[in-house]
Amino acid sequence: MSLRWWRLAARNLFRHRRRTILTGSIVVVGFVAATMTAGFVAQTFRGLKDITIRGQGGHLRVLSAEAAGRSDEEAATLLLDRAEELTRSVATSPDVLQAMPRLAFFGLVARGERSVGYMGTGTVPALEKSASITAEAVAEGTFLSDPEADEVMLGGGLARSLGAKTGDLVTVMTTTPDGGLNAIDATVVAILRWPIKELDDRLLFLPYVPAARLLKAEGKATSIAVTLKPGVDLEKAAGALRARIHRGGAGAIVKTWIESAPFYLAVRRLYAGIFLFTGLVLATVVILAAANTMTMSVFERTREIGTLLAIGMERRQVRNLFLAEGLLMGLGGSIAGAIGSLLIRAVLNASRISLPPPPGATSGGVLNVELIPAAFLVGFVLMTVTLLAASWWPARRAARLDPVEALTHV
Amino acid sequence: MNVPLLSAAGLTRIYASGEERVIGVREATLTLAAGELAVLAGPSGSGKTTLLNLLGLLDRPDAGRLELLGEDVSKLDDRGRARLRREKLGFVFQSHQLVPVLSAEENVALALWIRGLAEDVCRNRARAALSAVGLAGMEGRRPDAMSGGQRQRVAVARAIVGEPALVLADEPTASLDSETAARLLDLFDDLHARKEIAFLFSSHDPRIVERVPRRIRLVDGLIVSDELTTGGSS
Repeated sequence: MSLRWWRLAARNLFRHRRRTILTGSIVVVGFVAATMTAGFVAQTFRGLKDITIRGQGGHLRVLSAEAAGRSDEEAATLLLDRAEELTRSVATSPDVLQAMPRLAFFGLVARGERSVGYMGTGTVPALEKSASITAEAVAEGTFLSDPEADEVMLGGGLARSLGAKTGDLVTVMTTTPDGGLNAIDATVVAILRWPIKELDDRLLFLPYVPAARLLKAEGKATSIAVTLKPGVDLEKAAGALRARIHRGGAGAIVKTWIESAPFYLAVRRLYAGIFLFTGLVLATVVILAAANTMTMSVFERTREIGTLLAIGMERRQVRNLFLAEGLLMGLGGSIAGAIGSLLIRAVLNASRISLPPPPGATSGGVLNVELIPAAFLVGFVLMTVTLLAASWWPARRAARLDPVEALTHV
Repeated sequence: MNVPLLSAAGLTRIYASGEERVIGVREATLTLAAGELAVLAGPSGSGKTTLLNLLGLLDRPDAGRLELLGEDVSKLDDRGRARLRREKLGFVFQSHQLVPVLSAEENVALALWIRGLAEDVCRNRARAALSAVGLAGMEGRRPDAMSGGQRQRVAVARAIVGEPALVLADEPTASLDSETAARLLDLFDDLHARKEIAFLFSSHDPRIVERVPRRIRLVDGLIVSDELTTGGSS
C-alpha cells in the first residue's frame, strides 16, 4: 500500500477526533499497564531470585553424590568427605568468584529453661558475609567474625522464642552423624531479621569450625556454596564445574540454585498466570473498544465506501484502507503508551514508594519498576495485532458492501 | 463496422421484497455510441437509476446481456467489473459524494490513485481536470469549504479525470438550485464537445431532458420510447 493510502487512513482517523482519542487512550492505558506490570513483576522476580540465591549462599551447591535424586532435607544429612580439598579446587575454577564449605545441622538451642528447634548452618564468616543475605539481615549486634570462636547468630523469631539478646549465652545441641548427642555453648553476637518468616523462626549460624566440632565432622561439609562471577551463564558454569569435579574423581554432584528453589518457581508461575490473565483482559477491552470505533466508522462512511467501490476501487483496497486505520491507531497508541510508560516509570521510581513484603518475606523494599525492552516490544506487537484483529471484521464488512446499497445508505 | 460503446439486450432486474417480486428493469435493450449524449428519463420509480446502475456495472442483471466496447461484461467477476469501472467509466452522483478529508485536487486524484498511477501524474491530471470544470485555484480546498455547485464540479472532474469512454450521471442536478444546475449543464455540454466523452444521465429534471438530444423514456421499468431529437442543445 503506497504512502498516499496511509495518509488517507491517518486523516480518516481524525474525522471523529474525540472517538479516536478515546480509543487511542484505551490503547495507551493498555500499553502502559502491560509494560508497567512487566517492570514491576521483573523487579519482584529479580528480588526474589536474589534472595533465593543468596539464601542458598551462592548460585551453585556442590553436594555429596548420594544427594542425587534426594530432597534438600534428605541431602542435608549427607556429608562430603575431603571438603576442604574440594572447596579449594572449586574456588580455582574460572567461573567461580568464591566457594565456601557449609554444614547443615538441626537440633535444639536452649537458654535457661527454654529450648527451641533450629536449622543450623556452619559457615566461613568472611565468605558468608559477602555471598549471602545474612550480613544484610543483621538487625542487632555484629556479624560473625572469628572463624573459630563459639559465637552464634540467631534468627529474630528464634531469638524471641528463646528470649535471647546479643551477649547472651545459649547452648546449641545436635545429633552427630554417628547418632551421639553433642552440645556447645555459644555467645549470641547477632540477631537477624530474615526475609522469609518461617526461616526467621528457625535459623541459627555458627562459624564452620565450632559447627564441625559440634557435629564431629571436621574436614567435612554438607555442601560447598559457590558464587559465580558476574555475567557468567549458570548452566554453562554448572556444566564446567561438574566436568572439573568428575575429572578430579570426587564423589559429588552440582546443583544450580533454581533446582532447589520450588518457592521461587511457584511464585514465578503464579505471577506469569496473573500477567497472562491481565493481558487477556486488557486485549479484550482494547479489541472491544477498537472494534466499536471501526464499526461506527464503517457505518458512518457507508455511502463513501459505495462511492469508492463505484469509481473502481477494489474490495481489497477498501479492506486494506480500514486495516491501515486500525494499524495506525495501534502504532500511534503504542508510541504514546511507550512515552507514557517511561514518564510514569520515572515518576514512580523517583517517588521511592515503599512496598509491602513479597510473598513469604518479612521486609519489603522500595518500588523500582524495571525497564523491560522486551515488554515494550511485546506491547507494540500485542497492541498492533489487537487493533488489526479488531479492525478485521469491520474492514471485511466494508469491503463486502454492495455498492448500489451503499450509495443509497442513509 | 463500428463497435458500439455500450450494448444492452434484454436486461432485467428483479428485486425480492419479502414474498413480493418487484421488477426494477424489464428487458431493456439499447445501444450507446461513443461520444453520444443521452438521458434516461421518466418519473420517480420508473427504473432510471436501476438501469443506470446496470449499465454502469454497479449492479448485475437477473437476465440479459451487456457489452462494453464489445466485451461481454455479464459474466465478469467483481474485480473485472471494478477494473472496467475505473478505466472506462466515470460516475457523477446526485450528491457530490466527495471524501471530506481530502482536498478538491486529492478527491479528483483519488480516481487515479486507485489505478496505481504515480503521484505527480495524478496531481497534474487532477489539476487539469479541475481547470476544465472551472475550478482552477481551488485545488487545496476541502469540500466543506466549497459551495454545492463547486462540489458537484469537483465530482464531475473526478468522473472525467481518467478520460473514460462514458460518464454516467445519476440525477446530477437534483440537489442544485436552478442557476447552479444550469451552469453544471453548460459544463456537461462543454466537456462533451471538447473531450468527446459519452454522457448518459438519469433524470426527471426537464432542464436536462430538454437539452439532451437522445431521450430514453422509462415507465415501470420498461423502455417505452427512445427518441433522437434535434432540439437538444448539444
